[in-house]
Amino acid sequence: MKPRKALTIAFFVFLLGIGYLSMHSAPVLSDDNYSYHGETEWRTDFSEAEQLASEQDRPIIVYFWTTWCTYCEDYNQYVYSDPEVQAELDDFVKVAVNLDSDQGEYGRLQQRYNANYPPQHVIITPEGEQLVKISGYADREAFLDYLAEAEREYDAGDNQ
Amino acid sequence: MNVGNVLLATAFTVLLGATGILARAYLADDDRHVGYVTILTGAGAVALAGALAQLTYQFVVTDYSNAYVWNNTADYLPLLYRVTGVYAGNEGSILLWAALTVLVAFTAGVIRGFPDRHSKLVHAITFGIVTYFVGMLLLQSPFASIRTEFANAPPGYIPTSGEGLNPLLVDPYMAIHPPVMFISYALLTMPFAIGAAHFVSLFRGDGSVFAAWRGSVTRWLRVSWLFLTVAVALGGLWSYTVLGWGGIWAWDPVETAILVPWLFLTATVHAVVRYRPNDEYRILAPAMTATVFSLAIYTTSIVRSGTFRSVHSFADGGIGISFIVLMVLTSVLGVVVPLAYWFLQDDEATGSDGAWLTRDNLLHAAVLLFGLLTFVSLWGLSFPVLRAAVTGVEVSVESHYFNLWSYPLVGVALLLLGFYMDFDVEGRRRSLAGLAVFGTAAVVAAFVAPSEIWQLYPSPPTQSPIYGVLGSISVLSILPPAAYAILGVTKRALARIPAAADRGAVFKETGITAIHVGAVLLVLSLPFMYMFAGQASAIATGVASESVDTSYQDVAGTDYSVRVLDYTSNEFPQNPEPESYALSTDQVAARGPSLNGTVQAVYGTVTDVRRGPQATVIQLDGSRTWVGVIQRNETAGNFSVQTGQGLVARGRLMWNFVPNADATVLASPQAIGSPANPPEGVVPTRVQVDGVSLAVYEDGKLVTSGVAGQREYPQQGNMQVRDVLIDRGLVTDTYVIAGVSDGTASMTVKQVPLMSLLRLSLVLLVAGMSTVLVFDPEHGIQTLTASTASSTDVEPEATD
Repeated sequence: MKPRKALTIAFFVFLLGIGYLSMHSAPVLSDDNYSYHGETEWRTDFSEAEQLASEQDRPIIVYFWTTWCTYCEDYNQYVYSDPEVQAELDDFVKVAVNLDSDQGEYGRLQQRYNANYPPQHVIITPEGEQLVKISGYADREAFLDYLAEAEREYDAGDNQ
Repeated sequence: MNVGNVLLATAFTVLLGATGILARAYLADDDRHVGYVTILTGAGAVALAGALAQLTYQFVVTDYSNAYVWNNTADYLPLLYRVTGVYAGNEGSILLWAALTVLVAFTAGVIRGFPDRHSKLVHAITFGIVTYFVGMLLLQSPFASIRTEFANAPPGYIPTSGEGLNPLLVDPYMAIHPPVMFISYALLTMPFAIGAAHFVSLFRGDGSVFAAWRGSVTRWLRVSWLFLTVAVALGGLWSYTVLGWGGIWAWDPVETAILVPWLFLTATVHAVVRYRPNDEYRILAPAMTATVFSLAIYTTSIVRSGTFRSVHSFADGGIGISFIVLMVLTSVLGVVVPLAYWFLQDDEATGSDGAWLTRDNLLHAAVLLFGLLTFVSLWGLSFPVLRAAVTGVEVSVESHYFNLWSYPLVGVALLLLGFYMDFDVEGRRRSLAGLAVFGTAAVVAAFVAPSEIWQLYPSPPTQSPIYGVLGSISVLSILPPAAYAILGVTKRALARIPAAADRGAVFKETGITAIHVGAVLLVLSLPFMYMFAGQASAIATGVASESVDTSYQDVAGTDYSVRVLDYTSNEFPQNPEPESYALSTDQVAARGPSLNGTVQAVYGTVTDVRRGPQATVIQLDGSRTWVGVIQRNETAGNFSVQTGQGLVARGRLMWNFVPNADATVLASPQAIGSPANPPEGVVPTRVQVDGVSLAVYEDGKLVTSGVAGQREYPQQGNMQVRDVLIDRGLVTDTYVIAGVSDGTASMTVKQVPLMSLLRLSLVLLVAGMSTVLVFDPEHGIQTLTASTASSTDVEPEATD
């Protein structure tokens, strides 16, 4: 075989290989019901989450993210993969909002909580009242502090 | 039909005419009417330039009778950013693109003329593309009337304030970046047309077009590479200074969209060098030449048509669909036709004798590597869209996808570069030994990670073994290939420059050396910059109150401490001239009943005040324009009205509302005040700038000081933009992000290493290519000016 032809064939084999491998190992971010971040699973339907939160009397944590946001990846890698964070997050109803999505409901949430860049979190009561807002990236400890603060505020609100 | 649309329609007609004449002349091989083409295209160029000038003028004077102007600017913006508004949206950027393309096409037509059938075909394609762009603009015009925004407003209605410019674009880099990028895309039209014409001609049995145009193609490609490189660099530097959270490269879709044509253009520049009419590159070089522009269109379509934000937004807006159609057209001409030709031509002649180690084969490998790099970016941009469209499952393309796949390819490319240069000087045996040494060193270094931080991506979020392997590579592995490449490039430069035949050749070799050294430094700086960027935070309280906490705040885990020195808070616009946001009584009279029912701000001098039990009416300038304030006491807001005073008021303007008045502006007490200090209701705050003056210390020594904070745009969904403080150091940049809210400043201090190296690499790339462009003895601008274009291109084989 002529060298250049061999190189060209190798090129296409590589190309197909990269294409196939990358597409199949790309982390699934969302299917019909959930979106996945780090090792956590987030709902994508806000109304359902609202209902669940008021049934179970739990605060809601809303995560505003995009596929291209580097700090969201940091969240995946350093925060959500942490078992302690995961345990704490279990006390909340988790909803993820892709800022690039054009779902009508997402636009309203974005406006209501003034979340116009990723990543941001708002922790709210089932009625939608804001307890805590995390703008930008918070590392593991800070994130845990925010969660604890939200729980305190939520409990304080309950006792009134 | 306004001036702008007339100009667009004129441009469309004459350019369509020119394209038609050329197409007919090509198909029928008949030169009738060809003499008119230059005049027609000249007229098209003038009309499009006129349209662009008209739009720019409308932005400068903030003519809100134009919906596009109203959507993309506001009076408070300084002149530079009013001009930036011209290309802030789709319509304006396509007008800019079209105007630049017609200039390129017209110039090429004038230089080259239409001496043969091939040139007619080439120019028919370029003018066809411009005509298409102008057609897109006629479908969705940047000169649409404001009535498209306010369908129910009375005829002649013009708002007094605009929506404003996207806050992210309020930056000097963004004022320059889009024109530079569109210049490059416009320049790519020529290589595309030549490549596409080449294959059309081959299919029709009319022979090669490319051979005669090779010199031109080389020039066009190099100039567009130069501009595209500058555009990518400006985009990266913009993201570094403006966003404050992405660094210079975040692989967001828009960034990736411009990188794809850049990578492929780089490959094409290398391929065209090796073009010979009877060799394998007789297909590949023209094919790649045609493909670059298609890639630019493809990526622009993905970004601009709304495809990326949602696969469902294909349908809305004419621009989206027109882009998709253009994408299909250019892909057919630039990719499908060349591929089909390659497929049908199985009896490829090849100049190589089967030996593996030849310069040509090495260069071919380089071209293929660049092809692979392009594919990685292109695929990353495309597959989430494809997969979501087909299966509805959203998958992530995080930056690690791009980084992990690109890294080994770049490493191999560096080894190849070193080897190619070495091979050129030292011959087979010595260069192979060099490759073995540096290659082995790279592989060994890939396993040596002094700590986890040296690994590319130690724990990627997917369990995929391939990412596991790629992610565990240590970045030390980039050092041997980089060293090898720089060594090889320098060695060849030292051998070739003294041996160069003339001054031009010396400059060309120097330029090529600079480009390659620049490229090596670029890829060397990137991974380290990201992986070794450190950051930590500190918080200062009491910022907004009188007692600013000016004590030293240690930045945890670093040697840094920061001190807040002062807090500043400003609002814009600050006391603007009333003419800039309100109508005078004369203007009200001139516009007449068209203002009926619209909300307007007016200004004038109070000439009469009549107070009633429910309302006060105020006459302005003795005119038939009155302001009516419904209230229960004597004051209007905090403003006591007396004759002789200046007054501004904003409210619904009613025509023939009361006797003795033409216009009555019904304002609330909050929306009336003095022009010297207009209330919020009349001139709402557009930008709220909060910042803290900071001093950053390292080990107690002052590193930098300045203001960091944020700008908030209340009228634009409270969008926030960060003002970062950057101390550009030789080894590391100190980068401070501050957020100020509720009296607390939260500060993040980042250390970004090797930014200077990156800046140097960009300068080398640009300076190197400029030198080659001007001085290349075969295809430089000097040769172009020294002799006619066609004579330099007659014998392509003779050069090289």
